[in-house]
Amino acid sequence: MDWSSILYLAVTIGLFVIFVLIVIHTYSKKRKRKGEIAKYRMLDDD
Amino acid sequence: MENQGYNYAIVRSFVTWSVIWGLVAVLVGVIVSFQMVAPDLNFAPYFTFGRLRPIHTNAGIYGWAVGVIFATFFFMVQRLCRVPLWSDKLARFQLWFFNITIIASAVTLLLGYTTSKEYHEMEWPIDVMIIILWVAFAINIIMTIMKRKEEQMYISLWFMMASIIGVAILFVVNSAAMPVSLFKSYSAYAGTNDANVHWWFGHNAVAMALTAPPLAMFYYFLPKSTGVPIYSHRLSIVAFWSLIFMYLWTGAHHLLWTPVPDWIQTLAMGFSVMLIAPSWGSVFNGYLSMNGQWHQMRENYLVKYLILGITFYGLQTLQGPMQAIRTFSAFIHYTDWVPAHIHMGTMGWVSMIAFASLYYLVPRIYGREVYSIPLANLQFWLILVGQLIWSISLWVAGVLQAGMWNAMNADGSLTYTFMETMVEMYPYWWARAFGGLIYMAGLIIFIYNLYMTVNKGKPTAAQTAAAVGRA
Repeated sequence: MDWSSILYLAVTIGLFVIFVLIVIHTYSKKRKRKGEIAKYRMLDDD
Repeated sequence: MENQGYNYAIVRSFVTWSVIWGLVAVLVGVIVSFQMVAPDLNFAPYFTFGRLRPIHTNAGIYGWAVGVIFATFFFMVQRLCRVPLWSDKLARFQLWFFNITIIASAVTLLLGYTTSKEYHEMEWPIDVMIIILWVAFAINIIMTIMKRKEEQMYISLWFMMASIIGVAILFVVNSAAMPVSLFKSYSAYAGTNDANVHWWFGHNAVAMALTAPPLAMFYYFLPKSTGVPIYSHRLSIVAFWSLIFMYLWTGAHHLLWTPVPDWIQTLAMGFSVMLIAPSWGSVFNGYLSMNGQWHQMRENYLVKYLILGITFYGLQTLQGPMQAIRTFSAFIHYTDWVPAHIHMGTMGWVSMIAFASLYYLVPRIYGREVYSIPLANLQFWLILVGQLIWSISLWVAGVLQAGMWNAMNADGSLTYTFMETMVEMYPYWWARAFGGLIYMAGLIIFIYNLYMTVNKGKPTAAQTAAAVGRA
C-alpha cells in the first residue's frame, strides 16, 4: 500500500468518524431540548 | 412586518424576475419540444433545437430556480435570524447583475458561443460574472446569519449555507479553463478527467442548486403553512449531514460504461444507492409532520403543493439511484427515460415547492390576501397533469427506445435501424409537447394570480390594522 492509498483510507475513515460524531452529538439526550427548540422558535411571530 | 426593518423590496424584485425567467424557460421548452416533432420549426441558425435547448435549461436553472433561491433565501434568512439583511446595496447590485448575466447568457448561447458542457454552456466571461454574482450573494447571506439574534440555527439555514458554499466550489472548479479569445476557451482538464469533473459538477449542481434550496424552502414553508412544527428537527439535521457527506461522490454515475476507471463508477453507484437514506429522511420528516394535519391537504392549497412536491422528491430519489446501477443504466442510459426523470424533478419537486413558497411569501411582502385560491387550485391540477403526461410518456418512450436499440436478429445484426427507432418516438414526443403546453397554462395562471394579488388583492389583517393605526 503506497502513501497516497494510506492517505485516501485515512481521509475516508476520518470523514466517517466525523459523521458518526455528528449523529451522536445530535441525538445525545443532553441536547434533546436544545436540538428541537429551533422548530418551535421559527413558528413564533417574526 | 416593515417595522422589523426587513428588506422586502429586494424579495419583491427577485420574485418578479424569477417568474419572468421561469416563463421564458417553459416557453422555450415548449418550443423545442414541438421542434422535435415538427423539424420545420427550426429556423437556422439562431432558432434551432441545438441553440434553444441550452437556453431552456439555463433559463430554468439559473433564471427560474436560482431567481427563486435569491427571493426565498432573502425572505427566510431575515425572518429566521430576526435581523435585517446585512447589506441592502449589495442585494440591489446582485439583482441587476443577475439579470444582466442571464441576458448575456441567452444572447451568447443564441449566437452559438458554448463550452458544450451540459448545464455549464456559457463561455468564460459569463462564468466570471456568475462567480461575482454568487460571491455577492454568499457574503450577504453569511453575514446576515453571523449577526443573527437566534442562538439555534433552524435547519433551513443549514441547507442555505450548504447550497451557497457547494455551488461556489462546484462552479469554480468546473469553470477552470484557458481562454483563447473573448468567447472561446478550452477546459483545464483533459479526456476522462474533464468528463469526471464535469459530471461531478453536473450532478452536484442538482444537489446544491435543485435539492438543498428546495429542502430549505420545504422545511420553512411547510410548518409556516400548517401552523405546526416539523416532526423532528434532529432528524432533519442528521438527514442534512448525511446528504452532504454522500452527495459529492455520486457524479460519476453519469459515466457508467465509459473509460472512467471502474472503481470511480462503482464508488458513485454505491453512494447513489446510499443517498436514498438522507433523501427519505427528509421525506419521512415531511410526512410525519402532517400527523393529525392531513385534512389540510383538502383545506390548504399551500400544503397540497408542498406535500406533492416532497412526494416527487421521494420518487426522484428512488428512481435516481435505480438508474445509477450499472445493469439498469446499460438499458436506459441515452434514452428518453432520462429527461423524464429530470423533468419530474424540475417540474414536480423543485417547481411545486417554488410555487408554494411564492404563494406563501407574496401576500406577506405585499400585505395582500392571495387573489384567488380557486385559481391556485386550478394551477395545481394543470401543472400536476402536465408534468405527469410529460414524464410518463417519455418513460414509456425510453423503455421502447431501449428495447428497440437492444433488439437483435439471430445472426447478431440489429433488428431496427436508428431511424426506425426515431419514428416510433413521435407519438410520445407529441404527448410530451402537449404535456408541456398544459404545464405552461398552469404557469400563466400562476403569474396572473400573483399579478392580481399584488394589484387587486384585499389588504391582509395586519395591513388593515397598520392602516387603522396610522389613521
